[in-house]
Amino acid sequence: MCALALKDIRKTYGDARAVDDVSINFPQGELTALLGPSGCGKTTLLRMIAGLEVPTAGTINLGGRDITRLPAHRRKFGMVFQSFALFPHLTVRENVGYALTIAGTPKAEVVARANKLLDLVQLKGFGDRQIGQLSGGQRQRVAIARALAQEPEVFLLDEPMSALDAKLREEMQVELRLLQQRLGITTIVVTHDQREAMTMADRIVVMAKGRVEQAGSPQEIYQWPATGFVAGFIGRANFMDGLAENGKIRVGDVALALPKPANFVNGASVQLACRPEAIRLDAAESVNRVQGTITFVRDLGPVRDLHLDTPIGKLVAEQGADQGRNHRLGDTVYLTLPPEALRIYPRVPAELQTGMDAK
Amino acid sequence: MSVADDLAYGAEKAAVAIAAPKAAVVGRVSLAVHVVLWAAVLAFCLVPLLLVLIISFGHKVEGAGWEWALTLENYKRFFVGANWPAESTSLYLGQLYWSMRYAVSAALLAIVTALPFTYLMTRQSRRAQAVWLVFLLATVSLSEVFSVMGWDIILSNNSGLPMLFAASGLTDWLKETGWFDVLRDWGLANPRNVKFKPSEVATVLTLSYLVWPYAVILLYPALSRLDPSLAEAARTMGAGPWTVARTVILPSVRLPLIGTTLLLFVFLLGAYVAITVFADPSQHTTAVSVYEHVRGSTLNAPFGAAQSVILLVTATAFLLLGQWLTRKAARPS
Repeated sequence: MCALALKDIRKTYGDARAVDDVSINFPQGELTALLGPSGCGKTTLLRMIAGLEVPTAGTINLGGRDITRLPAHRRKFGMVFQSFALFPHLTVRENVGYALTIAGTPKAEVVARANKLLDLVQLKGFGDRQIGQLSGGQRQRVAIARALAQEPEVFLLDEPMSALDAKLREEMQVELRLLQQRLGITTIVVTHDQREAMTMADRIVVMAKGRVEQAGSPQEIYQWPATGFVAGFIGRANFMDGLAENGKIRVGDVALALPKPANFVNGASVQLACRPEAIRLDAAESVNRVQGTITFVRDLGPVRDLHLDTPIGKLVAEQGADQGRNHRLGDTVYLTLPPEALRIYPRVPAELQTGMDAK
Repeated sequence: MSVADDLAYGAEKAAVAIAAPKAAVVGRVSLAVHVVLWAAVLAFCLVPLLLVLIISFGHKVEGAGWEWALTLENYKRFFVGANWPAESTSLYLGQLYWSMRYAVSAALLAIVTALPFTYLMTRQSRRAQAVWLVFLLATVSLSEVFSVMGWDIILSNNSGLPMLFAASGLTDWLKETGWFDVLRDWGLANPRNVKFKPSEVATVLTLSYLVWPYAVILLYPALSRLDPSLAEAARTMGAGPWTVARTVILPSVRLPLIGTTLLLFVFLLGAYVAITVFADPSQHTTAVSVYEHVRGSTLNAPFGAAQSVILLVTATAFLLLGQWLTRKAARPS
């Protein structure tokens, strides 16, 4: 079932299109991540869902009801802000109970509910503290509890982890995901961090320049990026420019084979992408095998990145630390790009690309 | 942090900045700077103040000037009258009351109107904010005399608003609807037409006009620092515009609000020109009385000085009250 549906949503500021004809369905009870680089329109989209901005065009539908022009205070979608936006003049409990207090709920009831919510976010006994006495992680929990107090139909989070340090961020991602699954609440998280999106989301919507590039499950998006942009933005990828030639792709002097003949006319300009971890070194296969020189070794502990100079360009290959022999700087190696690991995209010339952006 | 703390902190920082350089020569220079600074403070602030305090205990010689003395007669005259206990007067206490009444009303009126204006201003573009601030600073540079003259023309009975009221038929309409009698009760009309001079309304209006730019400039830093997502968070939790203002914006700026109100109040205690132009002589203030005694017909400098001291003590008392309120408000409840 679909809880929230956006149809042809557009937002323009003067001539600039912050969000451009976006249509997304948010399934009931699922966590969807809006993922994209800064300035891609994801926060603007979230603010339109919350009712803090009015779309220039398009409709927002909640359970069959058109809420496009409903002001934020009538929607009551709980929202966690990037800065958490906790009220410094109120205590933790008063913050959590704010929505209920202004709705005229009896005080005893507000206190009981706030305490229950604080319990839920593991802040039992913090009710009487001032906001200034809390750490970043605790503030985030208060912000989450406060947004959940009014039992919102949709729960919105705008870059909720950006104010936390790296370690805490990973913990909170897992914790938030568990909480969301427990409550079964339709949730939308805006993030620019692909690991965060992969950790938490049932579905990821990748955005760029105000448009949806791809929507799908984390694994779908990682394994089958729909566009070159997605391939580059989610995880890492080696990109190679080539020309279609008799079902193969010619990159420099090397013709790379694909699992099935490419559907491009001969001479078509294409872009190939290959994940660093898919490149195999010194493998037995002779398909898509090229020679390369190691120019840099980046040892990250569990994995090692080898930077290679090859006839098809500079590539990065990721190897498990215990994988193969100890490659050293300057070594010459044979590397294989398995056909099934290659992703192929039409290459749009730069001048056409800008033409499309302006549209 | 209160305004006074802010200033103290600024001075401390300035002192540190002056004292920071390393060598002994620089040390001597910084000592000299200190001496000069303190000498300037003494000469330009403390000495005149002390002089006023000393003169307030002086004795007025009838038909002549005054002589040094150590008498409380000027203070006695202020509180109970010169001929007490034979007869007593509350004339001067009444003037102090009007001083405070005008200052409180005008400060509150300025704050109440400047707060929403400043809030909306901080939500504008940077450029628009800069234009507004420059414009307001420019109006601050106008002299009080000039501004009061403008209001004098607008409110004068023969050429200002009352004339416009009569010419446009508004006066007749007010008479027909019965509102004219209400205005007469409020002292805003004579038998023929509405009038604003003299009246308390005109006085308070002009006074608040005078301090209005200061109110905006003093409130601006706090309101522009206010995180817009606070109001947005409240909106997503079901708060309409009024609820946002009442439960989020006002409490967030209560400290600067108290501080600004007090500063305006203290500033207005010394207002002179607007009072002499717009207030009824029976409702004149201590500041006007001080001027009349020091420079006016009676030439009674000691009594003028005593009134100044009382005004100063009143202002100080209110500033201390403000400090106390600020601390109380800042303390976690």
